[in-house]
Amino acid sequence: MIEALQAMGSVMLDPYLIFLILATTVLGVIIGVLPGLGATTGAALLLPFTLTMEPVHAIAVLATIYVSATFAGSITAILINTPGTSAAAATTFDGYPLAQRGEAGRALGIAVVSSTIGGVFSVIVLCIAAPMLARVAYEFRPPEYFALTLFGLSMLATISAGGTIRNLMGGVFGVWLATIGAEPTTGIERFMFGNYELYEGLAFVPVFIGLFAMSELLVQSRRVNEVVDAIGLKAVKLPSREDYKRIWKTVLRSCGIGTFIGVLPAEGATVASMIGYAEAKRWSKHKEEFGKGSIEGIAGAEAANNAATGGAMVPTMVLGIPGSGTTAVILVGLMVHGLRPGPYLFTEQVDKVYQIFGAMLLANLMFMVMGLYAAKLFARISLVPLQILWPIVFALAVIGAYALSSSLLDVWIVLIFGVVGFLARRHGFAVAPIAVGLILGEMVETNFQNSLKMFDGEWWLILTQPLAAMFLVFAFMGLFGPAILSKISKKST
Amino acid sequence: MSTQGDGASPGEHRPPAARVFLVPAIITVFSFAVIWAALQLEISPPMIVGDSMQPRAFPMFLMLINLGLTGFLAFQYVKSPPKSKQRIGIPAWGSLGLFVIFYGVTVYVDMMIAIAVVMFAMCLLWGERRVHVAGAVALATPITIFFLFDLVLRVRFPRGLLTNWYYG
Repeated sequence: MIEALQAMGSVMLDPYLIFLILATTVLGVIIGVLPGLGATTGAALLLPFTLTMEPVHAIAVLATIYVSATFAGSITAILINTPGTSAAAATTFDGYPLAQRGEAGRALGIAVVSSTIGGVFSVIVLCIAAPMLARVAYEFRPPEYFALTLFGLSMLATISAGGTIRNLMGGVFGVWLATIGAEPTTGIERFMFGNYELYEGLAFVPVFIGLFAMSELLVQSRRVNEVVDAIGLKAVKLPSREDYKRIWKTVLRSCGIGTFIGVLPAEGATVASMIGYAEAKRWSKHKEEFGKGSIEGIAGAEAANNAATGGAMVPTMVLGIPGSGTTAVILVGLMVHGLRPGPYLFTEQVDKVYQIFGAMLLANLMFMVMGLYAAKLFARISLVPLQILWPIVFALAVIGAYALSSSLLDVWIVLIFGVVGFLARRHGFAVAPIAVGLILGEMVETNFQNSLKMFDGEWWLILTQPLAAMFLVFAFMGLFGPAILSKISKKST
Repeated sequence: MSTQGDGASPGEHRPPAARVFLVPAIITVFSFAVIWAALQLEISPPMIVGDSMQPRAFPMFLMLINLGLTGFLAFQYVKSPPKSKQRIGIPAWGSLGLFVIFYGVTVYVDMMIAIAVVMFAMCLLWGERRVHVAGAVALATPITIFFLFDLVLRVRFPRGLLTNWYYG
């Protein structure tokens, strides 16, 4: 524990890292306030720029983008009724009405404080839960990993956008994409069609940049003529004692909800904020204020979405299973920089792990300062014309994809997956399940193959392994639980 | 399973059936194409230790799941047809066209020139009326990014008209 605290504290002794976190926090807030450019797109675009950095610095940069952009989405949600990130969608319900009543500063103050508490709480949970989970994960063998990844994929059914069936189809498509290249055990080429650059499979980063950034570019092209109605802001006000009295229970509840939702594989800040908001309303004594400018509504959504960031890092770092779309990018970042995610990360490179946690903690405190003192300036950035912003994103996307392995194929992959993502989104399919499926695809297949070898081809023996059976039950519940529960509740009424 | 979808509410315009089932039809054709391609894969020799599955089995299994899910999706569409989609606007079609131009210019001329051309055209296509602003953005961005990647990150860009001249 002392070693962990020392490693976290060492962040404060690294001036270059502090500078990086400060600069990335500013960048993350800018990314968060620009509609369409969320944490996932921002992290995917920034990943190539971290190539020459030290592993800890690189992951700290990506994690800082994650926490600061997740918070910053609330600035535009409150001031222009447009969530900068999907995780801030629930903040618009009460943030914008409160701002319309002339209390934009108060709304932003509540959002900043709740987000910071949520973020710090989740990093503390991350520091405690991650090593504990890692100790359990040491015992995992291929059957357990296979069942766990299946559980992760089943959770795609419940993520916010898309809808159950379409999310699962996206996940299956992503897993299929992971089969492109040489088969892991036999080396037989699959779906390469003579292109040997695909021998090691599709590179994650170009696919992610295509799915998240390039498809968003095409989606945003529809918004070129939209006029936004911005609300003026004088200064951000810290919550008063009365405000704290009203929101503290909501904030604590949302911290717990957000961290728990974040820990679940494939769930993320968006789901957390929606549930945080709904629970805030359910337990509130002032339900009638919700939707009209309730401070509990803002606190519930904001504490939950930032609490999910630390939670989502738990499965990402301990199990190699992304807790959200952005952590999928961070996971790729870990791999690119030679930090193999999994329980051994906590024995072999424990100091680096805690430095990353320390950086996340620092980022949470930095965005609080920026939120309080520079929200007005950042709100102006959100009004950057789309016709200037998105061509720049195009340039960053193609050059970033090329830079990773100096391959033009990666650039074509960005363009192809940009079109695939655009068409998918147009027809109601979310792109995050494709990304998660792509990451988990090889894990599912390899661990299933190894399980079959363990049991000499008798796959049903996987069910005799207690932990594997438990994860498979969870996966079944993830897929069919909501339908069964709604049938039961319908019958009882 | 929940059946969250984008069903049209009564009175809303619904697209013709042929268009509604276009997506499930394309996914079905894609799934069968993958199964066919998987059937063409080599068969691996038996394992020395333990028994496993053929490399073709896993992708075929995935596509069978996909076909099942597509069936569910089509059933959802029968129960609740999706809303008519907004037409793809000129900026989106134009941007897609610029992707094609980008490919051509990158392959036959130079990647940096391709980026500048696409950025300039995209600025104008998306509604920027000040040609000098579009020009400045289209010139400044690739130049800045090029030198950042070349001098700081030590990335060499593909050979082309400008890079040949720069690299010598």
